[in-house]
Amino acid sequence: MMRNRFLVVLIVAAVVSGVSLAVDRVTAQQAAVQSTAQAYRAPRTPDGKPNLNGIWQTMNTANWNIEAHPAGPSPVRDLGASGAVPAGLGIVEGGEIPYLPAARKKQQENYANRLKLDPEIKCYLPGVPRSTYQGMPFQIIQSTKHIMLIHEFAGAVRTIYMAEQTEAPADSWMGWSNGRWEGETLVVDTKGFNDLSWFDRAGNFHSDALHVVERFTPRSAETITYEATIEDPKVFSRPWKMSMPLYKHVERNAQILEFRCVEFVEDLLYGHLRKQPAK
Amino acid sequence: MRHRSRSFMRGGAVALALALAATISIAGQTQSGAQSAAPAKAPVAKAAPASAAAGKTYKAPRTPDGQPDLQGFWTNSTYVPLQRPNGVTKEIYTPEEAEAAIKAAAAREAEQTEPGTTADVHYDFTQFGLDRSQSTFARNMRTSLIVDPPDGKIPPVNAAGQKRQQERAAARKAAGGQYDNVENMPIGSRCIIMGGAGPPMMNAGYNANYQIVQAPGYVMILTEMIHDVRIIPLDGRAQQPSGVKQWVGLSRGRWEGETLVVETTNFNGKNAFQGSSENLKVTERFTRTADDSISYRFTVEDPQTWDRPWTAEAPLAKTDGPIFEFACHETNYGIANILAGARADEKKAAEQKKGSN
Amino acid sequence: MRMKLAVGIAAAGLLLGVAELHAHHAFAAEFDVNRPLTLKGTLVKWEMVNPHSWFHIDVKDKDGKVTPWMVEGGSPNQLIRMGVTKTTVPVGTELVIEGYQAKDGTMKAVGRNFVLADGKRLFLGGSAGGVSDPAKAK
Repeated sequence: MMRNRFLVVLIVAAVVSGVSLAVDRVTAQQAAVQSTAQAYRAPRTPDGKPNLNGIWQTMNTANWNIEAHPAGPSPVRDLGASGAVPAGLGIVEGGEIPYLPAARKKQQENYANRLKLDPEIKCYLPGVPRSTYQGMPFQIIQSTKHIMLIHEFAGAVRTIYMAEQTEAPADSWMGWSNGRWEGETLVVDTKGFNDLSWFDRAGNFHSDALHVVERFTPRSAETITYEATIEDPKVFSRPWKMSMPLYKHVERNAQILEFRCVEFVEDLLYGHLRKQPAK
Repeated sequence: MRHRSRSFMRGGAVALALALAATISIAGQTQSGAQSAAPAKAPVAKAAPASAAAGKTYKAPRTPDGQPDLQGFWTNSTYVPLQRPNGVTKEIYTPEEAEAAIKAAAAREAEQTEPGTTADVHYDFTQFGLDRSQSTFARNMRTSLIVDPPDGKIPPVNAAGQKRQQERAAARKAAGGQYDNVENMPIGSRCIIMGGAGPPMMNAGYNANYQIVQAPGYVMILTEMIHDVRIIPLDGRAQQPSGVKQWVGLSRGRWEGETLVVETTNFNGKNAFQGSSENLKVTERFTRTADDSISYRFTVEDPQTWDRPWTAEAPLAKTDGPIFEFACHETNYGIANILAGARADEKKAAEQKKGSN
Repeated sequence: MRMKLAVGIAAAGLLLGVAELHAHHAFAAEFDVNRPLTLKGTLVKWEMVNPHSWFHIDVKDKDGKVTPWMVEGGSPNQLIRMGVTKTTVPVGTELVIEGYQAKDGTMKAVGRNFVLADGKRLFLGGSAGGVSDPAKAK
């Protein structure tokens, strides 16, 4: 009798574990399918939000040209290969920026005159989203009411207002950003841009009607998925999107250093007004 | 074009149909435990008295990660000079003396300039709310910001410091006139950095505002003028090798109880505070003393300039945000205008000379 | 004795701020004290930038010819904290500006006093005064 009962227990246990193994496998398959949609759950800040603090940088050639492009020579002959343009697969979803026809012409003019016109060359503030993929690091300093993005290039500052959402009092280079959390994602809605910054060194541009919505979603301990939707009815026929990973600086003592480039461009900007020696 | 003396305004004298939401509060705030409460006839500026006495009983709220909370918008706008004026021997004014000093300084600021004078070639600060009396300023009863040495003066410059001053003066002279080229112009006009950005942080005269944001392991201080930012790590990392020098130096911070202690070295010497060298070391101490004030104390050391360190105290008063983007370089028409003006003057002078020959 | 002290302190305190302000931007080198002027025009754009904002105005002469001018004013930042925005001074607002012209003779000036059509001072300070002496207006 005892042995029969024992056998029954064994059989039941085997069946149960078999069933649960099968269930586990199904769940694992579902999880695999969902893993791209199922967000990595980032560690939390003490106030309970996904922790985006850190020093971040992109690894692509978007700052040269956000559309797909081959390698090419430097616009400055004397820089040779050092100033040459590396190839890029592009970060624009769908491939091409959906310019209005007149605007595409203007982009081409910008490109032809980029040495004179690119605001980056003059150490002007980079605007958004160029500041993200400009190729220099930036630090996210995340507090409850404000999230600050501090960029090494020209010490550019972005203030993301998390508590009170307000309208831009005036136009600026870096825009006016209101932020909110959607689950694991920081959503940043920015308006109030002037029309003076570019998206890259290839003359891709916008008007003062620019509206950018960014999404920062942690995808692992040391990467963030960054997406930006661009809307500007004066320049583009429809909104369009770009996305790329942000990589964390993991070296000990990583920090943002000074890149006060004003000093580096003064002769370029004002050299023609220099007093000439008396004849 | 004589402009009438401006009388103190109350709230905002709104010129346009659309109402301005004036956020200036009128009477000075009183603070419990402070050395003195603002008398009833206080000037119209919002003033937040800072007092060490109040600091002893006050415990700052905490950030979510447990740091004493210094966050918010702060100003170090003040009428108190760095050094004690000649003829003043006391360290602290009586409340009446302090009020009188503020009133007189505010009145002087509000005085309108005489048309046809050089001083008149300027926009009117009061029209844009930029004079100190129309925004928050940090009330301070001291006769000088310097608290050590006890005479309230910067210590004498030593031999090495004097030599450097002479060398710098000679270099300036050799460089030519101030408007010969952009490099000869003040670094603030060039939009590189404001002279008082520091560290140590000195009153800018107007827009003397800062925003402090804290995250685990970091304190960030944004200076309004030319959007200067210092990001201060709190992880106890070592100072960087001397090969990296910066306009604002490299800062390292740590909490000592309620006080944030920030040590900064690695200055590049191009924005030399009070004539100091690249070996300058600045130690700042931030302590929240009340809901609306932070005690800010800094010690300056440079054996290449002074034979002893010296210390000053310049309280920070809570103020309103936001700090709007300071895109100084991007719209720096002034440099081009000034240089073009100087070249135009020279051309005119040369032509007149030719004409008289 | 106290009064004397107060004045002395006030002067010293004021010197600190004023010296820094003047060192920052040599207006007298940019604009000509010998070229005072009064401009009457309509606002095209108020460029709200730092440390000095710029008022772009169209000035119409008696023949109807329009000349664009740009006039330097103060930082907008404190005004922004008081609630001023880019729509506070609407495009088309009539302005009377007393100031000094640029040294290089171009259509630029610094605005010593910005006044609205009704005589009220733009933004802050002062009693309603505007252009006090029409005889001095150019």
